[in-house]
Amino acid sequence: MSNPLEDMSKPDVIFCIGTNMTECHPVAATGLKKAVARGAKLIVADPRHIALAEMADVVLPLRVGTDVALLLGMAHVIDREGLVDEAFVSERTEGIEAFREHLARFTPEWAEGLTGVPAADIVQAAVWYGEAERGAIYYTLGITEHICGVDNVQSLSNLALMTGNIGREGTGINPMRGQNNIQGAGDAGALPNNYPGFQAVTDPAHQAKFAELYGHEIDLEKGMTKVTALELCGDKIRAMLIDGENTVVTDPDRSHCEHALKSLDHLVVIDLFLTETAALADVALPATAWGETDGVCTNTERRVQRLRAAVEPAGDARPDWWIVSQIAKRCGFPGFDFESAEDVFNELCSLSPIYAGLDWDVIDKGEFHWPVPERGHPGTPILHQGVFENGRGLFRSLEYRDPAETIDDEFPVWLTTGRRLASYHTRTQTGRSHGIDYLLPEETLEIHPDDVADWGLQDGGLCRMTSARGSVEIKVAATNRSPRGTVFTSFSFNDTPVNYLTGSGYDPVTQTAELKVCPVRLEALPESL
Amino acid sequence: MPLPTDQDLVTDWKSRPAPLLPLLHAFNDRDGYLSDEALRAVSQGLRIPLADLFGTVTFYHHFSRFPPGTNAPRVCTGQVCRFAGGLELLETMRKDGATPMPCAGRCDEPVPVLTGRSVQVGVTVGEFESRPSPLPVANPGGLEECVFAAIRNPGNDTLEGYRRAGGYSGYEGALGSDPENLLTVITDSGLAGRGGAGFPTGVKWRAVREALNPRPGDDTRAGPKSVVCNADEGEPGCFKDRVLMDHDPHAVLEGMALAGYAAGAEIGFIYLRYEYPETADILDRAITEAENAGLLGENILGSGFSFRIHVRRGAGAYICGEEGSLLNSLEGKHPFPRERPPFPVTHGFENRPTVVNNVETLASAAAIARRGAEWYRGLGAGDLAGTKIISLSGDIMRPGNYEVPFGFPLQTLLNDWAGGPRPGRHIQAVTMAGISGGFLAKEDLDVTLDEPSVRSKGSMLGAGGIMVFDDSRDMLEVAHSCMEFFAHESCGKCFPCRIGTQRLTERLAGAAGPGVLAGWSDEVEDIGSVMKATSACGLGMAAPLITESLMRYFPEQVAAHVEATNS
Amino acid sequence: MSDPSSETTVGSIEVDGKNLNFTAGETILEVTRRHGAVSGEPCKIPTLCYDERLDPFGGCRMCVVELEGSHNPVASCARAAEDGMVIRSSTEAVEKHRKTLLEMVCSENRQVDVDPLSGYASQELKELADRYDARSGRFAGKKSGKSREDDPNPFILRDYDQCISCYRCVRVCAEQEGDYAISVKGRGFDTQITVEFDGHLKDSACTFCGQCVQTCPTGALADRKALRHTEVPGEIEKTRTICTYCGVGCSVDILTKGDSMVGVQPAMDGPANHGALCVKGQFAYDFVQHDERLKTPMIRGEDGELHPTSWDVALDKAAQGFLDARDKHGRHSVYAVASGRAPHEAGYTTQKFIRSGFWSNHIDNCSRA
Repeated sequence: MSNPLEDMSKPDVIFCIGTNMTECHPVAATGLKKAVARGAKLIVADPRHIALAEMADVVLPLRVGTDVALLLGMAHVIDREGLVDEAFVSERTEGIEAFREHLARFTPEWAEGLTGVPAADIVQAAVWYGEAERGAIYYTLGITEHICGVDNVQSLSNLALMTGNIGREGTGINPMRGQNNIQGAGDAGALPNNYPGFQAVTDPAHQAKFAELYGHEIDLEKGMTKVTALELCGDKIRAMLIDGENTVVTDPDRSHCEHALKSLDHLVVIDLFLTETAALADVALPATAWGETDGVCTNTERRVQRLRAAVEPAGDARPDWWIVSQIAKRCGFPGFDFESAEDVFNELCSLSPIYAGLDWDVIDKGEFHWPVPERGHPGTPILHQGVFENGRGLFRSLEYRDPAETIDDEFPVWLTTGRRLASYHTRTQTGRSHGIDYLLPEETLEIHPDDVADWGLQDGGLCRMTSARGSVEIKVAATNRSPRGTVFTSFSFNDTPVNYLTGSGYDPVTQTAELKVCPVRLEALPESL
Repeated sequence: MPLPTDQDLVTDWKSRPAPLLPLLHAFNDRDGYLSDEALRAVSQGLRIPLADLFGTVTFYHHFSRFPPGTNAPRVCTGQVCRFAGGLELLETMRKDGATPMPCAGRCDEPVPVLTGRSVQVGVTVGEFESRPSPLPVANPGGLEECVFAAIRNPGNDTLEGYRRAGGYSGYEGALGSDPENLLTVITDSGLAGRGGAGFPTGVKWRAVREALNPRPGDDTRAGPKSVVCNADEGEPGCFKDRVLMDHDPHAVLEGMALAGYAAGAEIGFIYLRYEYPETADILDRAITEAENAGLLGENILGSGFSFRIHVRRGAGAYICGEEGSLLNSLEGKHPFPRERPPFPVTHGFENRPTVVNNVETLASAAAIARRGAEWYRGLGAGDLAGTKIISLSGDIMRPGNYEVPFGFPLQTLLNDWAGGPRPGRHIQAVTMAGISGGFLAKEDLDVTLDEPSVRSKGSMLGAGGIMVFDDSRDMLEVAHSCMEFFAHESCGKCFPCRIGTQRLTERLAGAAGPGVLAGWSDEVEDIGSVMKATSACGLGMAAPLITESLMRYFPEQVAAHVEATNS
Repeated sequence: MSDPSSETTVGSIEVDGKNLNFTAGETILEVTRRHGAVSGEPCKIPTLCYDERLDPFGGCRMCVVELEGSHNPVASCARAAEDGMVIRSSTEAVEKHRKTLLEMVCSENRQVDVDPLSGYASQELKELADRYDARSGRFAGKKSGKSREDDPNPFILRDYDQCISCYRCVRVCAEQEGDYAISVKGRGFDTQITVEFDGHLKDSACTFCGQCVQTCPTGALADRKALRHTEVPGEIEKTRTICTYCGVGCSVDILTKGDSMVGVQPAMDGPANHGALCVKGQFAYDFVQHDERLKTPMIRGEDGELHPTSWDVALDKAAQGFLDARDKHGRHSVYAVASGRAPHEAGYTTQKFIRSGFWSNHIDNCSRA
């Protein structure tokens, strides 16, 4: 996030796109609800009529995968209506002329044709956002989990740059991170392109720095992404360490994923439970859980915070860092003589420019947002204030692209996937917590009531849902949350393993899977008729 | 004509000012009650959270969630109606689904029975009739009056009739000159709030005029200033506002428009108690007349001043006569009182500067604008300015509304003007301020009718309701029914009132509490003291005046009551 | 806590003889508490309906103080400070009123003492009743509130027999959580906390975030899950950590008795959440001590099944497998996926394992799924 969570109650206009925040980031959503209660305008773009849409001043129910078209239409309106922040644009950006030229043909009427959103609503949303003193954009995986995920993000960036809605309180471009320490995994260097602290591996200076620290020169080229590695299991990739991820259930195209992991010569999985993924391992190692572990995590607003153990580990479970260090030592690798989480974290701080001002003791109260470039620095709650790190903000002239697969006679229905409030990921945790089943005992497929009728299905009955990759049986739930022609479910329940169906394509840059779009067909199962 | 659909009703009201109550009434008028579906439609239409709406609806006595709802009769069981047989009437009508309602403001003509949008009066089933509320008798002392001066003229409730007595001439004059002149006249007249609080009217109007307009961009407060006429006459034993609105509605409208002009407001509301449905029609008719005559609306008489008035009916909650609750109710919120400060003059309707005045105050202002400050000051006795309507009821020969000069002796009103007690009886006690001033009895009946005199006896004149109890009445029973009213009407926001009114009621009923006089008195006094000192609004502060005055004037009756409870 | 001597002050008030400066909009109570926290002499004005995160309400009247020039005491929680105010916070008269109020409050409930597992603020009434010696039994009469034993939800106990109608639950649900699920039905002594149409929480707008539970000062709304551990011996201890679920990073206190995790409470001063949590953070913690936890290392045997073993054996086998792959297929045949849920130390050591051991960048985390 470019701005801190506390800014969520401060904007005049909030544009939420591809984020089901009240279910996925409920506590963050409370800030947004306060802004709305205070009188802020809320624009919600989502194919589904989610809870946020209920609170919205304008709802943009776009067809799945057409975000770029919607955002081009909005940019067109902002330009046409004279709402460009000329001072900001001339001072801090480049490429506006070409961008304006590019925008000319993307009228809201054109966008309506692709998105299905009435042009008048696109105009209204654009005018509100463009006129806002403080306009803020919030998004989540509904933006990134597309083959055009990067284009989507850059389209949002265009809007913020045009209107100067960045680098100030109550503005910004704010992706909400999904897992408690997904930000921290990146901070710590668990990325194929970056060393700790987002230092690019392709930079020879960084290579030299880490060669000295780690005792050997490391490749100057990026590593594979996980997606590629899974593609190449049994071929180029022969041994894999997976820490705390139920890859088999979370990742797209489950059959492919299971096959990949089974093709490895050696699979080591570290986890809390014998998950579907751990069950495939050659070695499964018990990690300490939350509440048993000391450590550090970074939240979605780049706030670095301490985790503290409250109880003894279950059985013989050990902290992840200890397990990995032990494996490394037994491989004969130097530099793994850590005695505590504190040792590990302090080493990370010493290598990461964005953590240079931090150590284990400094972060005790969780006051710091990185970057914290030196000791005594107050941290950086708001990014891009005054100047962009990389110089000027660049406008990108993007074109709309269809999703990897589009509906046709064989697969005439759009499936989009997501999450639900009461379950987390694959329910390894929530599924084992007393009472959660009372709220959400099973997964269903949400279908518009008229579609349920038209397609010969029955509310509460079973149907078979099939994509080009696989099929699942799932219970039908008729609801107006789903628009006509689009159905929704989550991937949380192993008995409705929807990721057997997904995996139509990946963003070419980030290799993020297009989990939000998957053409399917539905058939009533005879026993439910 | 087919009944309007849910959507019709919502569409009709959603973009009008203060839409919640009238929209609920529209559903209620259509169905007789508020169904789950109705609440869902209102919740969606007005974007009020369903739980919130559900809670708010249950707050009001007259909103029913189930049939037959308002189609079943409600029988007044207020103090005076009890004397007239209201409880017995209720029992005989139970088979028709009748339910009780607290004092419905017809103490001069008991017993009112409310069914749907119609009030009938009578004491015997089959002999009810609908009739206009009684006019005041000619001033028994022959004194010059302010608000009643023209009220008895035939046709006074029409624009034409009102004009015949000079109506709207003060307003027309004011519109032709600077609002400052009007403010000066009202201030100099000494007019003060006639709803009970007695705050100087001119000062209030000026405060609203001078209150900063909400900043542009401050979304929650942007919009015009308002004038709210408090016509939620819920005080038991008070029925003066009803007679003014029924027979002199244009005086109220003129007073509001004057307040609007003086204070720089553009929108006016009359918040009318639910139990006066016919009055709502009278006011609506008068507003239409005034609008058609160009006296209300845009750019009135070419002056550039614009002002519109909307009638909003309450739904049965005494607390909505408290101005904070009234404003919350008008805004569609839970009708709890507001903390003060800030006051409505800066943070009133929708948090904007607002004049809140009582009906009588506004009617007086209309007369003052016409006849001047000096004239009005001269109506009072001695140094006291102006007049006050007293609603007199109970054990008295000629109950009704009387306009008296401030400083007028109570005994003269009771015995000379109103004919005294029934033959063979003497007056044991009277209430003051409806029931909010507790009782006066014995030598304290020698007060004059003005706040300094009445307050010197630990009571207050308030809105001017006086109920009379002769020596046939059991004062414990009277005190109990008064406290039961307060407990029924306590909003539940503040602890001292919510718990205190309940505990005092139980003790007056003999249902709980120590069986020894000393312990009983300690508890009742401690509760009273904490209520008076710490309650969040006037209800909780006033209620213990009942027990306080009861114990002061009638210690023997109290001792006997505790004794009886004990045995 | 901001610095009371900061430049934003607009005036000062005198409280019990001390001059305290205030900033625009601060209430008497806020000023007094802020200075109390700094001076080390905490503000002693009692409250029951007050939650510093919520708008001033002025219901319980426990916080009334004497204000010079005012006929009645004023509610310090709702009255904005004005320059020159002279305030006495605990005169004999005011203390007497507070005691009477508490005796009245105690008289409407079934009990005053509730298990501290009930919720964060659940001891507030009990503590005040102790401080004011208010369990006198005076003011006996009808009890208020009706418990909803019929609501089967496993998380929130709705024991309204204990309710004192302070509306903190209603207000926290509206103002903090923004769900507007809880409402006030009826009025006066018959006031009842409820939800739309008097239903069960599950059928209402409630999201089971638990904020109502944590702000309830009497245990009327209580943590049903935590209360299952009432009988576990030992004192409750609290450990401050960060919630394990989404990326918001809410601060929580884990409640333990001995080595048993018995509950979670939000940290009211948590920088990301200020006392808020969601159903997962509040109630989905007991997976940690679930029977199905992997408690010992496992290796795949000749029979193709996983079998428990010692750390030594498992770690050696794990290490050997990576070395074998490297030796047979080259250093780029080894890959690691770090967790987005484990702490930094996990991600850091995992990337270091790949980079310092295999000199490659074949490391990723689970953010692409």
